Amino acid sequence: MLFADFYREMRFLSKQRYIVLFLSAVFALSAFAVWSGLHETKLQQATIERLLEKDTVDRENVLAGHGDYGSAAYYSFHVTYSEPSSLAFAAMGQRDTFPWKHRIRMLALEGQIYETDAENPELSLFGRFDFAFIVSVLLPIFVILLLHDLRSGEKEAGRYDLLVATAKKQHKLWLSRALVITTGLALAMLVPLLVGAAIMQAPLAKTAAMVLITLAHLLFWVVVTVIAGRMMLARGQNSPRIASALLGVWLLATVIVPVVSDTLINQSITGPNGGEVVLTQREAVNGAWDQPYEVTWDEFLKTHPEWADYTDMASSFDWKWYYGFQQAGDQHAAELSKAYRDTIVRKDVAAGKASLMSPAMLTQRLMLSLASTDISASLAYEQDVRDFHASLRQFYYPLLFKGGEFELEQLADMPLYRQRLSN
Amino acid sequence: MSEPVVVAESLNVRFADQCVLDDVSFTVNRGEVFALLGGNGAGKSTTLKTFLGTVAPTSGSASVLGHSVTSDSDFIRSKVAYLPESVMLYGHLTGMENIEYFLSLADVKRSASDIEAALKRVALQADAWHKKLADYSKGMRQKTAIALALLRSAPVLFLDEPTSGLDPSAIDEFNQLVTALSEAGSTVFMVTHDVYGACQVAHRIGLLDQGKIVGVFERSGSELIDTEQVHTAFAKRNA
Ligand SMILES: Nc1ncnc2c1ncn2[C@@H]1O[C@H](COP(=O)(O)OP(=O)(O)OP(=O)(O)O)[C@@H](O)[C@H]1O
Ligand SMILES: [Mg+2]
Repeated sequence: MLFADFYREMRFLSKQRYIVLFLSAVFALSAFAVWSGLHETKLQQATIERLLEKDTVDRENVLAGHGDYGSAAYYSFHVTYSEPSSLAFAAMGQRDTFPWKHRIRMLALEGQIYETDAENPELSLFGRFDFAFIVSVLLPIFVILLLHDLRSGEKEAGRYDLLVATAKKQHKLWLSRALVITTGLALAMLVPLLVGAAIMQAPLAKTAAMVLITLAHLLFWVVVTVIAGRMMLARGQNSPRIASALLGVWLLATVIVPVVSDTLINQSITGPNGGEVVLTQREAVNGAWDQPYEVTWDEFLKTHPEWADYTDMASSFDWKWYYGFQQAGDQHAAELSKAYRDTIVRKDVAAGKASLMSPAMLTQRLMLSLASTDISASLAYEQDVRDFHASLRQFYYPLLFKGGEFELEQLADMPLYRQRLSN
Repeated sequence: MSEPVVVAESLNVRFADQCVLDDVSFTVNRGEVFALLGGNGAGKSTTLKTFLGTVAPTSGSASVLGHSVTSDSDFIRSKVAYLPESVMLYGHLTGMENIEYFLSLADVKRSASDIEAALKRVALQADAWHKKLADYSKGMRQKTAIALALLRSAPVLFLDEPTSGLDPSAIDEFNQLVTALSEAGSTVFMVTHDVYGACQVAHRIGLLDQGKIVGVFERSGSELIDTEQVHTAFAKRNA
């Protein structure tokens, strides 16, 4: 029965050129967003691939050209990267803010990680024009434009009484009209997403979750719009007033709450920034040249007591001392670095709470989380880099401290960066 | 002629502090044509809308075929074909498509030839049937809506100013149509300010003035209601 109503309204609305054009425009926007997301994903993948292709070759060339472990480590780079997930095209999120690739050397790490860090992570909504942006920010406007005058428009056109008097069940008329428009919007938005997901071979469960989030946000606004339209019409308000009121709600939920909470969070939760971490580490490393050796060794041995018996140096420069103060420099900045990351996490947690007041923010956060492009994913990559760097030190320290002859074969077991996140 | 179909009992409607219907009572029996006659703002359309359930009575009761408007408006709407005061249909659809759409809303199935027959009956020129309604004149829209009301085959017709916008010959045809419908057993409740038209078709006329029924005129035998007499009463009220 409802199907018959749905079919009738579908035929009816499909003859309304305004609606067809509107839905086509939504489809075009969504398709463009998906296309540009796919494009960006491919670019990032290509960049990673290019880096990886050169990575091994370059390193092998460097290693072959040096006669000691210290300079071999000094001159060789290691590519680390975080592959875009198969759904990153839909929600680029923090990949636009946080780095997703680093070429790492065995020198002090903090400076290498935060070298490019300049700004705050984006906690609010207005980043890239991607699918997540369309769903969280623009979708409510589409719903409002198409549905605010569901009833009031008919009233103003003078058809309301005849419609109500003619319809067998009047609520079914409004319900099926709203449903047809909702379905049209859902298809216009989701078909490009599904095509993108198929191209990227995204996992079914995550794609389904992405679809569900979109539908939930869509339905939320449909319900709000239809109920507000009905209630305001009953109080004698006309379509423009209904639309303004709804746009006010949109402004509040989608612009004001995110921007205000972003500002409040950045003001109330403060901590060191990446630049300070870099500076602290570099000052420690640079200062080490002028310090007595013991100062470096004392600091280094705090974390690596196993090399306490190997600190004797044959000359005034020894690579083990050099890497020792690189390590010490990181240790010097460790607390600050931790505080910096804790601040990011605390801000993220606060933004998560704030998002409960804004469906748009909530939608976007859920999408970023699904696409592994949120702050947790960025921090997880950073941790991967730290772990890899630690394993590199773990590998080189015995070679440096035990002081054996340089043998190229010894370097065959050098750790390789592998991305741990997978999807 | 004694089976009551449309019944108003002490109907009161207020909008804010304005009393629009004041203790209105009347009965329309099966097969009868009842006309509520009154000047602009007398409360005629409001009376109709009260029966359709789009205006809620402040007190009193209104019922159609024994079903109350307050509890059973879905039933009433399924038994009533309504011709609104100013006919506004969908401009982007043709006359035929409009009728098809509204019939399907009412869940009434009619073949294309049924619809064409109805359009012929209301004398809408055939070359307009497949034109967009946006290009119709007022009278053409009126004819389309009358055809729609006919196609509903409802036992009760509610007509709000049915002849407004019609040319004299179309009015004559319409009057004949209403007479034929009532002879076939339909109950017609119309509201109008056209004294002559009301006298042509109505078995009974109620004179409505400022929300009150101030006079009732009735046919005696097969003779039409006397236009002169109604006109005098009407003019006195609207002087
Ligand atoms: N929705 C409404 N809200 C407030 N007042 C209304 C409303 N509808 C009608 N009225 C008032 O009720 C009175 C009767 O209106 P109604 O439309 O019933 O008159 P009418 O007899 O049909 O007049 P006309 O011949 O001009 O069609 C008018 O004074 C009008 O202003
Ligand atoms: Mg009226």
